[in-house]
Amino acid sequence: MDTPDGTVYIVDDDASVREGMAWLLRTRHLLSEVFDSAEAFLAALTPRLSQGPLPSGCVLLDVRMPGMSGLALFDHLQAQGVTHNWPVIFLTGHADVPTAVATVKRGAFDFCEKPFSDNALVDRVEQALRLSAQRRHEAMLRQQRRDLLGELTERERDVMRLIVEGLPNKLIADQLNISVRTVEVHRARVFDKMGVKSAVELSNRLREV
Amino acid sequence: MSVASGRSIERLLAPLRQAGLQLRRRRFWLWVWLIALVLAVLVTLVWLASRYEASTLQAEVERDAQDAASDVRNALQRHIQAVQGLRALSGDQDAMWQQHAQGLLVQHRDWLRIESRSPDGRLLRSADSPHQSPVFDVRTRANWLGEMEQACQRAARQGTPVFSRSYFLPAAVGRAQEASGMELIELCVPHFVQGRVLGLDVLTYSLRELLIEQLDGRYGRRNELSFTEPDGTRLALAGSRRRGARLFSAQQLLDLPGGSALVLRLDGRRDAPDLFPNVLTALVTVMSIALLSVLAMLVKDARRRQQAEQELAEALAFRKAMEDSLVTGLRARDLSGRITYVNPAFCQMVGFAPAELIGRNAPMPYWPSEMADEYQRRQAVRLAGHLPPREGFESEFMHKDGTRFPVLIIEAPLISITGEQTGWMSAVLDISEQRRVEDLSRASQERLQATARLATVGEMASLLSHELNQPLAAIASYATGSLNLLQAPGAQPAEPMRSPALQEVQMALERIAAQASRAGQVINSVHDFVRRRDQHRAPVQAQAVLDAIMPLVQLQARKLRVQLDLQIEEGLPDVLCDRTMVEQVLLNLARNGMQAMGETPVQARHLQFRVRRAAANAQQAWLEFAVIDSGSGIAPEVAEQLFTPFFTTKREGMGLGLSLCRTVIEQHGGHLGYSPRAGGGTEFVFTLPVVLAEATALQ
Repeated sequence: MDTPDGTVYIVDDDASVREGMAWLLRTRHLLSEVFDSAEAFLAALTPRLSQGPLPSGCVLLDVRMPGMSGLALFDHLQAQGVTHNWPVIFLTGHADVPTAVATVKRGAFDFCEKPFSDNALVDRVEQALRLSAQRRHEAMLRQQRRDLLGELTERERDVMRLIVEGLPNKLIADQLNISVRTVEVHRARVFDKMGVKSAVELSNRLREV
Repeated sequence: MSVASGRSIERLLAPLRQAGLQLRRRRFWLWVWLIALVLAVLVTLVWLASRYEASTLQAEVERDAQDAASDVRNALQRHIQAVQGLRALSGDQDAMWQQHAQGLLVQHRDWLRIESRSPDGRLLRSADSPHQSPVFDVRTRANWLGEMEQACQRAARQGTPVFSRSYFLPAAVGRAQEASGMELIELCVPHFVQGRVLGLDVLTYSLRELLIEQLDGRYGRRNELSFTEPDGTRLALAGSRRRGARLFSAQQLLDLPGGSALVLRLDGRRDAPDLFPNVLTALVTVMSIALLSVLAMLVKDARRRQQAEQELAEALAFRKAMEDSLVTGLRARDLSGRITYVNPAFCQMVGFAPAELIGRNAPMPYWPSEMADEYQRRQAVRLAGHLPPREGFESEFMHKDGTRFPVLIIEAPLISITGEQTGWMSAVLDISEQRRVEDLSRASQERLQATARLATVGEMASLLSHELNQPLAAIASYATGSLNLLQAPGAQPAEPMRSPALQEVQMALERIAAQASRAGQVINSVHDFVRRRDQHRAPVQAQAVLDAIMPLVQLQARKLRVQLDLQIEEGLPDVLCDRTMVEQVLLNLARNGMQAMGETPVQARHLQFRVRRAAANAQQAWLEFAVIDSGSGIAPEVAEQLFTPFFTTKREGMGLGLSLCRTVIEQHGGHLGYSPRAGGGTEFVFTLPVVLAEATALQ
C-alpha cells in the first residue's frame, strides 16, 4: 500500500507528544505540521481558506488544551466545513469514552486513547488522508462535471433531462416538437460532452453532481 | 470574690436603707400628728359638749329668773287688790278694818304693817304683822316719812298705786336679833271717791320676806335669790346658798308700779358639767368611728382579696393556656416518684390520658418494657437526691401503641414556697423529628463528602493518567517510529547482513513500545475503575440540585457571614447530568467564591447563584449555571494557572477543585469558564445539556 498524499496537522499542547507524533509520522513518510494550541492552528488555517480548495490532510486534535479546547476547535472547524475535507482524529488522554463517542457522532473521523498503539493510529491517519484525498478528488470531479454541464446548450440540456426521465427518442421529439433525427444528434452530443456511453451512466453522473 | 460582692451590695443598699429610714421617720411623725389631731378633736368635742351643757344650765337659770320676776309682779298686783279690798270691806269702821287687816297680815307673811292715812298723811289706823315685832317706832311713824311720803304724794297725784324706793331701816333698840336692820319697800294705794283722794293705804314690805314668801318655795332650793339695786348693790337675800362648783346668775329687772325698779337676781350654783359622760360619749363616738373604719377596712380587704383571687384565677388560666400550648411535655413527680402532674403535650406524646398517669409510680406505662430496670435505677438515683445534668439527658419513651421515640429530658427539683424540695419537674422534648433531620442531613453530608472524596480521587487518577500518558505516548511514538525506520525497506540492509546488534535493538524497541502500552493500560484501568461509578446521568431540576447543596453552603455562609442569593429562571427544563458530580462542582465553586470574600467588608459579601437558559442550537439546548461572588477577583498571575492541576492559592488545598470541576463539566459536554465581574468579584459559569423533549417523551 503506498503512502497517501496530504499533510497531518497535529494540535497538542504537550511538546513531547506532538514532536514524537510528528517524528513517528515521518518514519512512515507522512508530512506533518505541529501546532501548540487551537488558536495557533486557527491562525494558520484562516488565510488558507480564502485560497481556494484545501489540499488533502487530516487533523490530530488533543481534547484537552489550555485556552480553546479540542472540542471547541472541532465545533469551530465543523461550522466552517473544514472537517469534510480534513477528517479529525481526537487524541484523548482521558479515555473518556462518552466524550469520544459524542465527538464521533458529531462527525469526527475517530478518536484514539493515549498512549496509542502507534502504528494503528498511523494506519487510521493514512485512512483519513485517503478519505481526504478521495473527497478532494470527488470534489474535483463534481466540479468537472458541473463544468461539463455548463458546456451544454439549452436544447441539449432539455433533451438530457428527458433522457434521464427515461423517455424514448420518439416521445422526446414529440414533446420538444423536433424531429427524431435532431433528438438523436443532441443525444449523441450530450453523451459525448458528458463522457458517458449510456443513459444509465448519464443519470448516475447527474446524481453525483 | 464573695466578700467584694457583699461589700458592693452593701454599698448599693446604703441609699436604699437611708431612704427606708427617712420613710419610717416620716411615718412616725404622721402617726404623731394623727394622734394629736384625734386628741384635739376629742378635747374639742368634750369642751363643746360641756359648753352646751353649761349654756343649757344658764338658760334654765334665766328662765327661772323670768318666771320669778313674773311671780313677784303677780303677787304685788294681788297685794294691791287685797289692800283695795280691805278698804272696801271695812269702810270707815275701825274695828272691821282692824279685823280684816289682821287677817291679811296673818295671811301674808311678807307684809310688815298696814296703815290707813288721811290724804294729808295723818295716820288714822295701823296694824302690825303678828309674825314679827313691830318694826317702826310709833312716834316716828305718825307723820310722813321720807320714801313713803314721796310715794304717797305721787300716788295721790297720779291716782294709782305706787311703790316707794326701797330703803334701809336700821334695827330698833333691843331688837338686835336681826342683823342690823332690814330693807323695806312701801306700797301706797290711794283711795279715790269721785276724783278726790279720801285716804291712802300704805303697805310695808320687807324685801327679804317678800323673797322668802313669794319665791323661796319654788326657786330657793336651787338658787340664791336676791334683790339688788340697778347698780348691783344687794338689798335682800334669800334662798339656799349651796356650795356648788359653778355659779350661774341671771338678773331680771322688776319695774314696780309707780316708777321705781328693783333687780331680781338669781344665783344658781350648779355642779359643773361632768367630764365623764362627755368622755364616754366621745369614747363611744371614737369606737363607732373605729368600728366603721374597721368595717371599711374589711370591705376594702374583701375587695382586695376578691381582686387578688381574680388575678390568681387569671394567672392560673394564663398558666393553663401556656401549658396547653406548649409542645414540650411537662411531668412532675413527688419525692417518692409518683406522677403528680402531666400537661397535655406530655399526654399526647405518650398517648395516655392524664388519669392513667397521675398517681402512677415506677414502672411507668410509657417506659419501654425492656428498659424498665435501667429507668428504675435512674429514678432511684434521682430520688436519692442526685442532680441531673442541667442540659438534660436523652432517653427513650414508648407510646401507648408501642412505638418508641427518643426524648430529651431536662429535670429540675420542684421547690415549695417554704424552700423544701417536694419533687421533680421534668420537661420532655420529643426529639424524633430532630433526630430524623439530623440523620438526614448527616447522611446527605456524608454522601456529599463521599462523592467529594471519590471525585477527588477520580480527578487525581484522571490527572495522573493524563500526565503520565503524555510522556508514555511520546515514548510509544518514538519506539514505533524507530521500529518503522528499522523495518523500512530502504533503510534495512539485506537480510544476511543484519547484524545481531541491530536485531537486539529492534527487539528492545518492540519491548519499549509494549511496556509503554502496558503502562498506559494499567493507568487506564485504574482510571476506569475510579470513574466507573459516575456514569449515572439522569434528568434533574436545576432547583433540586441547588436545594441539595444549600444546607452545606448556608452552613459555611453563616460562618463567613456571606449573604446568599438564588436566581433561578422560571420554567427551566431538566438538565441531563450526573447529579452528585454537578453538586460537587457547585459546592466547589461556592466554596471558592466565599473564600474569595475573606477581605470583603461583611455587608458586601454576596454570593449569587444564577441559573438561566443559555444559547441553544438545533440539536442541543443548554442551561447556564453561574456562581458569582463579590470577592477580590482573580489576579492575572493566578488566572494563567487557574485550571492547572495541583495549582492552588490555599494553604490546605490540593489544587484539584477547579480542575475537577472542569473535568466534570466537560464530561457532560459542557463548558466551564470565568470572567471578572464589574465592581469586583468573579463570575464562574458552566453549561449543562438540557434533556431533549424527545428524550423526555421517550422516557
